Amino acid sequence: MRAFDVHGTEIAVANVGGAFHAFADTCTHRGCSLAGGDLEETTVICACHGSEFDVTSGEVLQGPAREPIATYETRVEGGGTLEVAG
Amino acid sequence: MAETFVIVGAGLAGGGAAATLREEGFDGRVVLIGAEPRPPYERPPLSKEYLRGEAPFERALFQPPGFYGENDIETRFGVRVTRVDAAEKEIELDNEENVPYDALLAATGARNRRIPIPGLDLDGIYDLRTVADCDRIRAEISPGHKAVVVGMGFIGSEVAASLRQSGVDVAVVDQNTVPLRRVLGEEVGRVVEGIHRDHGTELIFEDRVAAFEGTGRVEQVTTQGGHRIECDFVVVGLGVEPVTEPLAGTGVQIDNGVLVDEYCRTNVEGIYAAGDMANHYHPVFRRHIRVEHWQNALKQGPAAGRNMLGKNEPYEEIPWFWSDQYEHNIQYAGFHTEWDELVVRGSTEARNFVAFYRKDGLMLAAVAINRGRDLRRSIPLIKNQEEISAAKLSDPDVDLRTLTRGASLR
Repeated sequence: MRAFDVHGTEIAVANVGGAFHAFADTCTHRGCSLAGGDLEETTVICACHGSEFDVTSGEVLQGPAREPIATYETRVEGGGTLEVAG
Repeated sequence: MAETFVIVGAGLAGGGAAATLREEGFDGRVVLIGAEPRPPYERPPLSKEYLRGEAPFERALFQPPGFYGENDIETRFGVRVTRVDAAEKEIELDNEENVPYDALLAATGARNRRIPIPGLDLDGIYDLRTVADCDRIRAEISPGHKAVVVGMGFIGSEVAASLRQSGVDVAVVDQNTVPLRRVLGEEVGRVVEGIHRDHGTELIFEDRVAAFEGTGRVEQVTTQGGHRIECDFVVVGLGVEPVTEPLAGTGVQIDNGVLVDEYCRTNVEGIYAAGDMANHYHPVFRRHIRVEHWQNALKQGPAAGRNMLGKNEPYEEIPWFWSDQYEHNIQYAGFHTEWDELVVRGSTEARNFVAFYRKDGLMLAAVAINRGRDLRRSIPLIKNQEEISAAKLSDPDVDLRTLTRGASLR
């Protein structure tokens, strides 16, 4: 997982078995960077308080977070560029 | 006739158990009884973001207020249980109602320990357990006000930090040498001490309060060591004790809380316990442990609910909690009361490390400051009771996930 600043928004990108998933990097609980946590299949686990989100839907799978994270469509362009659509 | 499951205690464990009974399809009567006059809520924000006025109470609610009615969960909030009759399988409430039960879950939590100190009844002296307690402390917060925090366990440490962050001058008094010493020990406590010192908190250790003094209201705190601290208010955080009185006379075994087996069952048929007040036989640590933290309440309550339905699932979550103090994230996983070796990965000076508490080569627990990812990766090592060399544990280039057999972090 890596986080990128995209026009002022921190967006994390996870590679799950060759498929790229982009989502808001900022945990909705206390604002930690989700890319600083761990990824298990399509679940991202926040390193600060253990909140878990589905990176495909943004849904909260485990608190303490209550609100989902935004997710973004991704497209791999020629030349190895990853495009993230807001 | 439909069965009735009664849950005594409407904190996170009780609320979670009630929700779980419905999720699992239980179609009998569910009655959730709580002494506080509000639905179940989470307490971690009370010493942090809610205390600092950064988050509304509604964010701490376990479920929206309509949840209980929608799920046909009968609630009695602001009501206490006065007696449990285990022979007749019936409880008596202080609203003069009697409720028969087929199964009962005790999840009455804990109460703050009150140490007899002269002047403790003066106005302006608070402790923190409920949102009502927190609201009283919040009303005292004003930049330039001076607070004395008595006890630097987790609650005291978090409150001291939140008060400083709110512009209050803070002095702390603790009988140990460093904050959190009882749980984390000298070396890690020293790091936490530095954090508090850096934020301008007056730290008085190895000392005890002799008296709270004032006319009607606390005006100063004197210590046995001769300190005299003028103050506007005081917050006392000297630990909690399990609330077991409602089960008196039932024959339920009580020893540091209510003794339960790995299935959250007491020795009395039909009575279960979970949360802060349950002294639970943990299959990993092979001993009874009583845990007073959010995650235990969140997960053990539902586990007890499933076992009330006959699922026979041992509860074996590794205890875990966090403590945010200023900009620092502290996390702990496992359970230890003594250790013979502390293995550190990272730097205590840089306040970025995980430390492993080991005894006879077995890893019992880990604590991390600003290194949450490694802390979470340590949980499977604790769960599997791996014997791992100290060299590997302390080497930051070794991914902790590679040191155990395929255990999930979730």
